[in-house]
Amino acid sequence: MKRILSFLTALGVILLIWELAHRAFGLSGLPAPLDALSAMPDLLREPETVIDVLQSLRRMFIGYAIAAIGGITLGLLMGTSRLASQMLNPLIMMIYPIPKAALMPILMIWLGVGDMSKILIIILGASLPIIYHAWQGGKSVKSTVVWSAAAMGMKRPARLFRIVLPAALPEIFIGLRTGLILALITMVVSEIVARSNGIGNLLFNAMDMALYDRMFAAIIIIAAMGCALDWVFEAIRKRFLRWSDTSDHIEVSAG
Amino acid sequence: MKHLRSPVVIGAIPILLLLAFWAWLATSGLTPRALLPTPLDVATRTQQSLSDPEFLANVGVTLVRLVSGFVIGLLAGTLFAVLAVSSRSIQFVLDAFVRVLAPVPKIALYPVMILVLGFGHSSKIALVAIEAAFPVYLATLQGMRNVDEKLVWAARSAGATPLHCLFFVMVPAAAPSILTGARVAMVISCIVVFLSEMMSSTEGLGYLLIDAARNFRTVDMFVPIILISALGLSLGAGFSFLRAKLLVGYPQA
Repeated sequence: MKRILSFLTALGVILLIWELAHRAFGLSGLPAPLDALSAMPDLLREPETVIDVLQSLRRMFIGYAIAAIGGITLGLLMGTSRLASQMLNPLIMMIYPIPKAALMPILMIWLGVGDMSKILIIILGASLPIIYHAWQGGKSVKSTVVWSAAAMGMKRPARLFRIVLPAALPEIFIGLRTGLILALITMVVSEIVARSNGIGNLLFNAMDMALYDRMFAAIIIIAAMGCALDWVFEAIRKRFLRWSDTSDHIEVSAG
Repeated sequence: MKHLRSPVVIGAIPILLLLAFWAWLATSGLTPRALLPTPLDVATRTQQSLSDPEFLANVGVTLVRLVSGFVIGLLAGTLFAVLAVSSRSIQFVLDAFVRVLAPVPKIALYPVMILVLGFGHSSKIALVAIEAAFPVYLATLQGMRNVDEKLVWAARSAGATPLHCLFFVMVPAAAPSILTGARVAMVISCIVVFLSEMMSSTEGLGYLLIDAARNFRTVDMFVPIILISALGLSLGAGFSFLRAKLLVGYPQA
């Protein structure tokens, strides 16, 4: 109940700011919220839009899935082995401030504007927070628990998957959430840089053609994707982590 | 042989291996030189660019946008956090607002910034400020919520007004969190200013990348990316250093 109230308040505030900005600037580039919202049904009825959104989501999920599997494995390895963390930590710290989406023009030359380059960028963008949090989670697992398992005859891979992974899960989910948002951001940016299809392409094409109500409708779709993904993720996290007492907290990131 | 096992040496191994692999790939002939320059090519070009006044002017433009956007974001984030702490209803509204907007890619708002503020500095600065304000707001709010209540009570009983408490007890006590938020915001700002320049600009590091890509100058594409990453890395490290200097005794968060 409180969540719904909070969501409605936020929507109200955003619409209010938008309406005020529309009246203050009086630009054709900033239509009233109602005009933009009325362009939504038209845009969504076009099959191209739906295809664009689905294309974007498909790329995003492929990239995100690869980043999640690879990132968690690598992170847990770093969390359980000192050598691995010493080896990989400087590399990760070096890669961290690179704007991953800025690699898009280079990858475009190598791999073309198709799915390959975009998915690769999404993997790069999403994997770092996942690796980092899996590492922190793996590190924070009490060694006595792992030792007990070893003493009872559990082999190393089994220990990693049956002891360390569940114990690190709350922290891993924080990384997965940041990674999801980053996957969305890099997906949008990659489509803006290499325009072929997808929601980012739709957004900037609408801007170039001065179809401003369509442009705003595209922004609303992207924003709704972000909210919906976050919401679904939160629901999944709650199911998995009913036993843990971590509260949800907000993560911010940029691609 | 003990020094060979030091963390620095071990940490350098993957980086050096990666560079070696890059160099091997570029010189082996498997990839055309026009598509993949060698690390040495990129290093010399970076060095050349750094003494080229025109290039430096572009770096300057990016820095101006970066710093002004970051400062505005820092101030706005702190201010909103202070507002949120001072009143429950404001906190409810701000919290709801941030909760909805945090998972939204703010870069999607960039077209709006362009249309409202034009193609020049202000649209990029506005986008950077928005992106930077979020982590600062969240970190500051978190920090101020965790301030020991006894400190506030002590100040109040010593005769401080609520406003005094806010600015002379709460904000200094939250300083470590503010600086942590600022460090995150700094790295994000570097990325955002670069991306915004890539999307629409006629100057700045991001533009240099797009310009090089359009003209198929592969070596020149690496230089802006290396520079913006180095900038983010060093500014982030600068904040860590500042934090360690200013806040001796606070644990690193």
